[in-house]
Amino acid sequence: MSDTTTKVRASLKKRYAAEKRFRLYGVTAIAASIGFLFILLFSIVGKGLPAFKSTFVKLDVQLDSATLGISDEPTEAELRAANFGGLIKQTMRDRFPEVSSRGDKKALYQLLSTGAEYELYDKVKADRELLDSTISLWLPADDELSALIKSDADLSNPDSIVTRMSDKQIAWAKSLKDAGQLEVRFNRTFFTNGDSREPELAGIRAALMGSAFTLLITFALSFPIAVAAAIYLEEFAPQNRWTDIVEVNINNLAAVPSIVFGLLGLAVFINFFHLPRSAPVVGGIVLSLMTLPTIIISSRAALKAVPPSIREAARGLGASPLQVVTHHVLPLAMPGILTGTIIGLAQALGETAPLLMIGMVAFIVDIPASVTDAATVLPVQVFLWADSPERAFVEKTSAAIMVLLVFLVVMNALAVFLRKKFERRW
Amino acid sequence: MDKLHLDQHISQQFNMELEDIRNKVLTMGGLVEQQVTNGLTALLEADNDLASKVAESDFEINKMEVDIDEDCTQVLARRQPTASDLRLIVTVIKVITDLERIGDEAEKLGRFSRDLTDMADDLPSYRKELRHLGELVKSMLHDSLDAFARLDVDAALAIAQRDEDVNDEYRTLERLLGTHLVEDPRQVSKLFKITWCARALERIGDHSVNICEYVVYLVKGRDIRHTSFDDIRSEFIK
Amino acid sequence: MNTAVATDTIDTSFIPRDPVKDSAQEAFHKLTETVGTPTVENAKMRSRDVNVFYGEKQAIFDVNLDIGNNEVVAMIGPSGCGKSTFLRCLNRMNDTIPSCRVTGDLSLDGEDLYGADLDPVLLRARVGMVFQKPNPFAKSIYDNVAYGPRIHGLSSNRAELDDIVVDSLRKAGLYDEVKDRLDAPGTSLSGGQQQRLCIARSIAVSPEVILMDEPCSALDPIATARIEELIDELRQNYAIAIVTHSMQQAARVSQRTAYFHLGKLVEVNATNDVFTNPQHELTENYITGRFG
Repeated sequence: MSDTTTKVRASLKKRYAAEKRFRLYGVTAIAASIGFLFILLFSIVGKGLPAFKSTFVKLDVQLDSATLGISDEPTEAELRAANFGGLIKQTMRDRFPEVSSRGDKKALYQLLSTGAEYELYDKVKADRELLDSTISLWLPADDELSALIKSDADLSNPDSIVTRMSDKQIAWAKSLKDAGQLEVRFNRTFFTNGDSREPELAGIRAALMGSAFTLLITFALSFPIAVAAAIYLEEFAPQNRWTDIVEVNINNLAAVPSIVFGLLGLAVFINFFHLPRSAPVVGGIVLSLMTLPTIIISSRAALKAVPPSIREAARGLGASPLQVVTHHVLPLAMPGILTGTIIGLAQALGETAPLLMIGMVAFIVDIPASVTDAATVLPVQVFLWADSPERAFVEKTSAAIMVLLVFLVVMNALAVFLRKKFERRW
Repeated sequence: MDKLHLDQHISQQFNMELEDIRNKVLTMGGLVEQQVTNGLTALLEADNDLASKVAESDFEINKMEVDIDEDCTQVLARRQPTASDLRLIVTVIKVITDLERIGDEAEKLGRFSRDLTDMADDLPSYRKELRHLGELVKSMLHDSLDAFARLDVDAALAIAQRDEDVNDEYRTLERLLGTHLVEDPRQVSKLFKITWCARALERIGDHSVNICEYVVYLVKGRDIRHTSFDDIRSEFIK
Repeated sequence: MNTAVATDTIDTSFIPRDPVKDSAQEAFHKLTETVGTPTVENAKMRSRDVNVFYGEKQAIFDVNLDIGNNEVVAMIGPSGCGKSTFLRCLNRMNDTIPSCRVTGDLSLDGEDLYGADLDPVLLRARVGMVFQKPNPFAKSIYDNVAYGPRIHGLSSNRAELDDIVVDSLRKAGLYDEVKDRLDAPGTSLSGGQQQRLCIARSIAVSPEVILMDEPCSALDPIATARIEELIDELRQNYAIAIVTHSMQQAARVSQRTAYFHLGKLVEVNATNDVFTNPQHELTENYITGRFG
């Protein structure tokens, strides 16, 4: 046996052991990260799922014009001013005739959401024929009652329940439940409403639309600008001190804290250009400033990765510099550019700080219909709800995070789809 | 470019192969020269033993020719020589053919010498008449091999010119032998043998000229066969 | 030596043994004019006193070389000798290198390559190029060949374009192999087929000159033989300049061979002469594999 053979053989065991150890580290790291990811997902999904359900109370409402304080043929304004709240209170009193004291009555009214009267109003407004008849109606319950019902607590044993509701209220709830007048349903309002002080009425729609509008603006601005800048820098710009400076500064911009962009947006776009405050248009502009360097850097990397032989081939055939880029380089770099864009947009989607500076932290009840309407975005909504005292907002917060994640997944899926479509091999 | 620089290839193996071929050719040349000298000596001295030795040694030359041919084929196949290397190989292939023919002629000298001895009687042998031609041809062969070894174009051209002398001597000899034949027709078979020997020596001179021409091709890259001496002289000799 | 002869009986002492001389390098430094005949009658492309600089560094020194009609000129030489640089001057591919500067006269049919009349885009349509590595576009075989005619507007309708594509593929000897799959991506072909596709692509533009930069260095011997056969056929219609590292290839395909050394054009001669009897020691050293 030669000297090499003995020496190599002696060291083999050690070398393979080192490799084994390294693999173990790797597997451990992967397991740990997957574990953390699952903990995060479980906690969010576990907390957030109840938010997609809400409790409704069934009441037989007698739509008496007199109680509503309107005429038989009410005008629009009359109907709007009608005392639907009083009617609902009346109905509740009728349901529980034994309640007499003022305090108890108030506690009784609290079982129903303050949004119940608006629901009733919407119903009547849609169909005037209902006036002066008795209708059976499912009205949203208050968040405390809703949480109680959704938690499947033992209503007959009030002491075991941790809630802000009084024992009397629990007893009423039990009575309603036993009568089949309580039901847990899918929470449509969460997806149709804007924000609200009442958790059972608060919805994600305004923030969702705000995010969509903002990202639309961000994409429409940053993608063409960034790609054009990347192409110019990579394919056309002369190599001199100025381009070096531009390059260094683009890299620096990518590292600037995002709140600085918010300050810039506030100073320039709102205070100087007088663009509307809290609007997706300003948010979009600010976020595209923030996203630009990311997309430029990744686009340049993608352009650089296109083999020079392709450029030479096209040039050798007499393609003009622009033809070389648009016919060959850009299609081949597109997947990489799209990946960079998605990373940039995902970053923009999760951004809160710069938007706080330009007023997108406002309490938005109305769903924004255009990019100039006041709006908020999903992460800001999460932040706002996480800050709210009501217990029911805890589940709303998690639910909003879930919506944010789904939004992100959809966006990524779209990018993967586009990339697959554009992908070409060489 | 006057020298072959056989030791300057990047491939040491190639250097060795070419050097080996060249040495073998020179060895073969030495052997052939030895055969011619021996054949001539045997002929002039009527040395029967030496004549037999010459006649029997030709196989060594033939064997060397085959051996060198094989080496050249290998180099052509494996090295694809170009320029001077290619010319060296081509020259070698041609030179060894001529050397082999010279070997054959030397063998003839040995055989005829034996035959002459067998016919020996008290009548004149006419062997001495070949001495001058033999010396001329021997020195031509020696010098042409020397020119090949030294890659000496000037010498090669000078040697090639000496073929005229050989031819003159051969014609003189022919006339002389013709005279002998008229004087004594009984010696006809012996005189024929002598004539053939003279013819063999003359052929050796021609082959030597060929070798000289290959040397010019090897060094200058110009094929001077079938070209008049005046043209060659004007081109190569200043 | 395994011969039957005892070598010690033969005197070999007269064999000359010269010391190694640097005469080749000396001759190179003295070289001011190319050895051989760099010019031809009715040259397609002419270059006179061409110097190329990369920044401060000079890559090509006073090169004069003609490329005649219907001939293949092979450029050989060690790496970094400037043969590729010179080739790329012939269709101004060096333009994209910012530090590159070309002086001297280069002309195509008497038109100045660097003059105002000859735009680089037009020049490259007239002087096609085939590269070292097969580089088909990420398009179908058809589109690869049709690309040049399309951007230059060489065909007025689809039928004409079809004709150009089929004709070019035929000339490149590829048509029979790909006629059933013109829609397949160009990259799906084998290396040799890809290179022939690239040749078809450059002749689709009907150039006058074809430049080839080591076109067979990435191919196996059979693919190489096919390309060489093709080059010989193309010679009937085009002027061809080919840079190659394979001296055997230069010997096989070219009519004239130019030897470059350290940026100078050392020798140009008929290929027959260069490979049997080169005039300059450096050429000799290079083609016979000696250290120079």
